[in-house]
Amino acid sequence: MKRLAVAVAIASLIVAACSDDGPDTGGGETASAQEGGDLTVSAASSLTDAFTEIGKAFEKANPGATVAFNFGPSDGLAGQIDEGAPVDVFASASPTWMDSVQDDGPGVTRRVDFAQNRLAIIVPADNPAGIVNLDDLTEDHVQLVLAAEGVPAGDYAREMFREARISEAALANVVSNEEDVRAVITKLIAGDADAGIGYVTDVTPAVSDRVTLIPIPDEVNVIATYPIAAVNGTQEVDLAKGFIDFVLGDGQRTLAEYGFLPPP
Amino acid sequence: MATDSGRSPSTASSPLRRGRTPAVFVVLAALGVALVALPLLGLLLRTPWSRVGEILTSETALTALRLSLVVATTAAAISFVLGLPLAWALARGSFRGKTFLRALIVLPLVMPPVVAGVGLLAAFGRRSGLVGSWLYEWFGIQLTFTTAAAVLAATFVSFPLAVLVLEAGLRGLDERLEDAASTLGASRSYVLRRVTLPLMGPQIAAALVLSWARALGEFGATITFAGNLQGRTQTLPLAVFERLQTDQEAAFAISMLLIAVAFAVILALRGRFLR
Repeated sequence: MKRLAVAVAIASLIVAACSDDGPDTGGGETASAQEGGDLTVSAASSLTDAFTEIGKAFEKANPGATVAFNFGPSDGLAGQIDEGAPVDVFASASPTWMDSVQDDGPGVTRRVDFAQNRLAIIVPADNPAGIVNLDDLTEDHVQLVLAAEGVPAGDYAREMFREARISEAALANVVSNEEDVRAVITKLIAGDADAGIGYVTDVTPAVSDRVTLIPIPDEVNVIATYPIAAVNGTQEVDLAKGFIDFVLGDGQRTLAEYGFLPPP
Repeated sequence: MATDSGRSPSTASSPLRRGRTPAVFVVLAALGVALVALPLLGLLLRTPWSRVGEILTSETALTALRLSLVVATTAAAISFVLGLPLAWALARGSFRGKTFLRALIVLPLVMPPVVAGVGLLAAFGRRSGLVGSWLYEWFGIQLTFTTAAAVLAATFVSFPLAVLVLEAGLRGLDERLEDAASTLGASRSYVLRRVTLPLMGPQIAAALVLSWARALGEFGATITFAGNLQGRTQTLPLAVFERLQTDQEAAFAISMLLIAVAFAVILALRGRFLR
């Protein structure tokens, strides 16, 4: 009797779980065919603020459509997509990782560059090490935080150091290689590092009272180009293309507000 | 399911305790085993066995291994030294708020590691940390981005394990043996050294090994609080994470090393703490 009761309880739980799920999923799919749909966008972490805002505007412009974002380091996102993550649109902070999805992953369609970004020195608001320019990053005891190698912001920063011929001394001051560019900013907000290399777009209004941006001269700075594309195999082909068009259209104003440069 | 319930109940008194496991249980249990085994199998299959030797003897891996051993061993030692007195108080003391205190101590076990890292920053960060800002201003000591920070993060997550295991050990102790020693004139410290601690040998070993293993696997709190720098704060799990971006095969090989160590720990504890 007891055994039967347990078996029945488990069975009914399973049935309940299935029947709970069923109609919801079905309803969603029907709706998507007609008007909306659920879009999953994997985007470089430097796009977090701009894309969150663009996503809301897109949902408003397309009733019934929802956009879910997966922000992270471009290399990590590309790896997820190459492993078959169900992503509809990929926005990368570097062409390299879009190439990876295009050539080694499921492939992409409608690839287009949609923005550019520049690097900047970012310091805590009280600037404990008194950093005013790139050369200051080479001084002893400056605690410098970078994104790890392989992460676009990390690779760009190292490239910029080479351009500025301060590689050796600057890299000797690195105290941490962070998982993405936002983690760099987090360390600076906490005030535990003296300086970091991020994008000009990382000093958003939300953090501008806690970190300060120091520009890097154009002749040594690296311009990051951001490509976006629909990932092949997406069930939401039209919606994905619609989102890309939206980023290239209305989205450009939002991107500019957050400090991104227009595409080349 | 139907055939099973139709079978005549030969052990009528308690059919769930004895006899055949219900078919539903077998299926659900198999799913549970698959959930644990499949990722391990995946790692096994993706490990580049021909390169394992070369990868694990590479500069990066050896540096991370050395650092991990130092960090985990120090963390386990601190967890034991601070954990034994606390376990003693929890097992034998009677004071208000004991239940609350135990809940507090266990919290790091179920806390998201990144939250632990943020908490450690809030306590020991050089600018805004409760203690950290004071340490920095008065003594010029900065913990973040140092090996000490990695040890602190590892200790934070392994300490609860040590306390729980030691407390269980103290509770399971036959107090009459200690009483007998006292009656025969032994001092409290003599009883502790010559009776209590030797009796607790297996639990002490289990506490050390479990907290060491937990410290070895620590990732989230470490990267958030201590950062990620080769030779200073890049322990094996952080090395796995970084290799994952640049050399996946190396990441899988280092993962295998971590799993092998963890498995060895579990086997070593078999029959002692774990049954």
